[in-house]
Amino acid sequence: MVDIGTLSLIVLLGMFALLAIGMPLGFASAFLAVVTLALKFPPDLLWGDFGRGPLSVLAQAVYRQMTNYVLISVPLFIFMAALLERSGIARDMYSSLNVWMSRTRGGIAIVTSIMAVIMAAMSGIIGGEVVLLGLIALPQMLRLGYDRNLAIGTICASGSLGTMIPPSIVLIFYGLVTETSIKALFTASFLPGFMLASFFILYIIIRTRMNPSLAPLPDPVPGEAEGREKSLMFLGFLSRFAMWVTGVLLVRALFFTVLGENKVRENQDPIPLGMVSDIPWIVGAFLIFTLIVFVVVGRERTAKGWEMGKGLIAPIVVIGVVLGSIYGGITGITEAAGMGAIAVFVIGMIRREMTFEIVWDSLIRTLRSTGTIIWVTIGAAALAAAYTLVGGPTYVANMIVGADMPTMGIILVMMFVFLIMGMFMDWVGIVLLIMPVFLPIVLRLPAEEIGFLGHVEARYVAVWFGVVFCMNMQVSFLSPPFGPAAFYLKSVAPPEISLTDIFRGFLPFIALQLLALSVLLIWPPIITVFL
Amino acid sequence: MQENSLYLGRFRGQVKTGMIIFAAITVALYVLLVGLRIFTEESYGMFEMIRPAGRPLVQVTLACFAIAMIFASLFLADTKGAIETYPDGFFDMVSVVLGRFAMIMVAFIVLVMFYEVVSRYVFSRPTLWANELSLWIACFVFLLAGLYAMQQRSHIRIYIIYDMMPRWAKKTSDVVSVLLIVGFTFALVWGGYTDAENRFLRMETFGTAWDPPIPGIIKPALLIVIILVCLQAVSNLIADWNKEPEAHSPADEIDETEIENIRRTLEEKN
Repeated sequence: MVDIGTLSLIVLLGMFALLAIGMPLGFASAFLAVVTLALKFPPDLLWGDFGRGPLSVLAQAVYRQMTNYVLISVPLFIFMAALLERSGIARDMYSSLNVWMSRTRGGIAIVTSIMAVIMAAMSGIIGGEVVLLGLIALPQMLRLGYDRNLAIGTICASGSLGTMIPPSIVLIFYGLVTETSIKALFTASFLPGFMLASFFILYIIIRTRMNPSLAPLPDPVPGEAEGREKSLMFLGFLSRFAMWVTGVLLVRALFFTVLGENKVRENQDPIPLGMVSDIPWIVGAFLIFTLIVFVVVGRERTAKGWEMGKGLIAPIVVIGVVLGSIYGGITGITEAAGMGAIAVFVIGMIRREMTFEIVWDSLIRTLRSTGTIIWVTIGAAALAAAYTLVGGPTYVANMIVGADMPTMGIILVMMFVFLIMGMFMDWVGIVLLIMPVFLPIVLRLPAEEIGFLGHVEARYVAVWFGVVFCMNMQVSFLSPPFGPAAFYLKSVAPPEISLTDIFRGFLPFIALQLLALSVLLIWPPIITVFL
Repeated sequence: MQENSLYLGRFRGQVKTGMIIFAAITVALYVLLVGLRIFTEESYGMFEMIRPAGRPLVQVTLACFAIAMIFASLFLADTKGAIETYPDGFFDMVSVVLGRFAMIMVAFIVLVMFYEVVSRYVFSRPTLWANELSLWIACFVFLLAGLYAMQQRSHIRIYIIYDMMPRWAKKTSDVVSVLLIVGFTFALVWGGYTDAENRFLRMETFGTAWDPPIPGIIKPALLIVIILVCLQAVSNLIADWNKEPEAHSPADEIDETEIENIRRTLEEKN
C-alpha cells in the first residue's frame, strides 16, 4: 500500500497533531497503531473478516504487556512511596542527619542532598521527595539566611535523584520496553547516580567555602557536643548499629545451620553471608564493633549518639529490604517492591502512625497513578507492535546508519532530541514511544566507536544507553518551561518565591547534570564498574 | 455519615453489614480450609481453589469471597476520596466501583507477595501459585486502573496548544479525540474478538504447575474493559460538554490535600 517512509512520516505527523488537540497520549498512540495497519494492509484483508486479520496484533500486544510480571512492581513502588510520604520517617531522618552536620558550612544543603540520596534508594519516584524536602528543609534554609537560589536548586535537583539511584521506575520501564535486564540497569546506574549526587554536594561545599555569606551557620546550641566529641559519638552510633546488623546476620546464619539449609551443595549458589564458613567472620565483626562501643567510644557517648542518630535506622532498614532483596538474590524486583511496601507499613505501625485512612488514601493515589502510567504503556505497546509488523524500526535504523554520520554525532543528536522532548513530555511517553526506534539504531552502531576515552562491550550498550537516558530525564525534571520539580516546589514554597526564581535557581544544577551526562558519554565504562 | 453518601443513601448501612458478614464468613471458611489442610489427608489447597467443580466447600468459599468483594467495593465507592473528582452519572459510578475493587486488589497483591517471600525464604517452601496469582490479579488492576483514570480524567495529555484554542475548537478537539478512541476500540474488538472468544470457551490455561486460566479470562476481560473505557470517554464528553473549560498548567498535577496531609504528618510531634 503506502511505502514505509511515507507511513513513518504520517505516524509522526499524526502523533503531533493528536497530541496538539489534547488527546490522551496512550489513546493517541493506540489509534495510530490502527492507522499504521490501515495504511499497510488492503482494506478487505483488514476488515474483511470479523474477529480476525492483522488487527489482532493490537489485542495481542496489549495482552503481552499486561502479563509482564515486572510491570507489577510499578503499582507496588507507587504504593510504597505513597505510604512513605505519609509516615514521619523523612522528618526523623532529617533531624538525625542535621545533628551531625549543623556546624558545617552549608550543612543543611548537604544534609538535604544526602537525605535525597537515601530517599532515592528507598523508592524510585520523584514528586513526593521534592515536596517533602521543600517542606522540611526549605523553611530552615530560608530562616538561616541561605542564598535562595542555592536552597531551591539543592532541593529540586537532589529531590529528582529518585529515578537515577536504584530502584528507579524510569529504568524499570526502559528495561521492560527494551527487554534489558533491570537488575543490570540498576547496578549500572549506581555509580553515575552517586557521581551526580556528589557533584551536587561538591558544588555546595565549594560555593559556600568561596562565599560564606551564601550559607550562614546557625548559632551554636549551648551544651551541644562539638568537633571530636561529635565524631566519637557518631562512631559509637555506627558501631552500635553495626552490632545490630551483625547480630541479626548471626542469628540468620545460625537459623540456616540448624535447618541444614546452608549445606554446601553442588550447583547451588551459596546463600550470601549465610554459610557456616561465614559465621566466624560475622562473630569477629560483632566483637570488633562491641569493642569500639565499650572501649573506644564508651557506653555513655554511644547512648547519646544513638539517641541523636536513631532517625536514620528506619530508612536504612527499608533500603536494606528493597535493595537487599534484589541484590541478595532473595527476590526479584517485583517482590522487592512488595516487601518494601510491607516494610514501610510495619515501620509505620511501630511508630504508631499508620491508620486505615492513610493506607486507603495511598491505595487511591496508587490506582490513579497506575492507570495514568500503565495506559500509556498499553497504547505504546500497540503502536510499537503495529510499527514493527510493518518493518518501521528496521527502516529507520537503516536510514540513520546508512546516512554515514559519525557514531557519536548520531548519539549527540539523540541526546538533543531527548532534552528537547523532555522539556514538553513526560518521561513515560519518551521511553515508550522513542526508545523502540532509537535503541535499535544505537545497537546497530559499532560499539567500539561509542565514547571517547573508553568503550563498553557490545552486550552492555543497551544498559549504557538506559543509564544515559535516565540521566537525560534528570535534566527534564528541572528544565523550563514544564520541569515538574519546579511546580512541586512552588506548591510548598512561600508565595514570594516565583516560578522564575525557581527556574533560575536550577541553572547551575542543570549544568551539573549535563556535566554528569557528558562523563557518561565520554567515558561509557563507568557503568561497568559494578556489573 | 449518611450526608457524605454518594449514591447508596439509606442502603449504606445494609451494604456495610453485608460486607462485614460475608467477609467474616470468608475468613471463617478460609480458617476451616487451612485447618483441614493441616489436620487431614483429603484437603483443598490452592490447586483445588481454582478448580471448584465438584467441591462444594470451595464453591461456597469463592462465592462468599466474591460477594464480600462486591459489597466492599460498593461500600467504599460510596465515599469520595479527597483527591477524587465527583462522580457524575451512572457510568462514573460503575467506574468508581470497579476502581475500588482494583484498589483492594493492590493491597491483596502485596499480601500474596509477602506470603510467598516468607514461605520461600524463611520456610524454604516456595509456593507454586503466588507469582501467577499476582499476575492474574495485576492484569485486572492494570485494566481497571485505566477505567478509573479515565473517569478521573487523569490520563496524560499535553495541554500546551489545547489551552490556547478558542472554545469551539476545544469542543471539536474533544469530539475528535473521543471519536478516535471509539475507532481504536472498534478496531481492537474487530481484530481480537475471535481469539478472545476461543480462549474463553476453551478456558485456556497458563501452562504451568498451578495452571490458572489467565489467557482464558484476561483476553475477554481486556476487550470488555476497553469497551467500558470507551463508553466512559463518551460519558465524559457528554458530562463535560457544558462545563466551563479550565486552564491547565503542570501545577494541576499537584494536589493540595496531599501536601496538607504531608504537612500535618511533619508537624505532629514537633
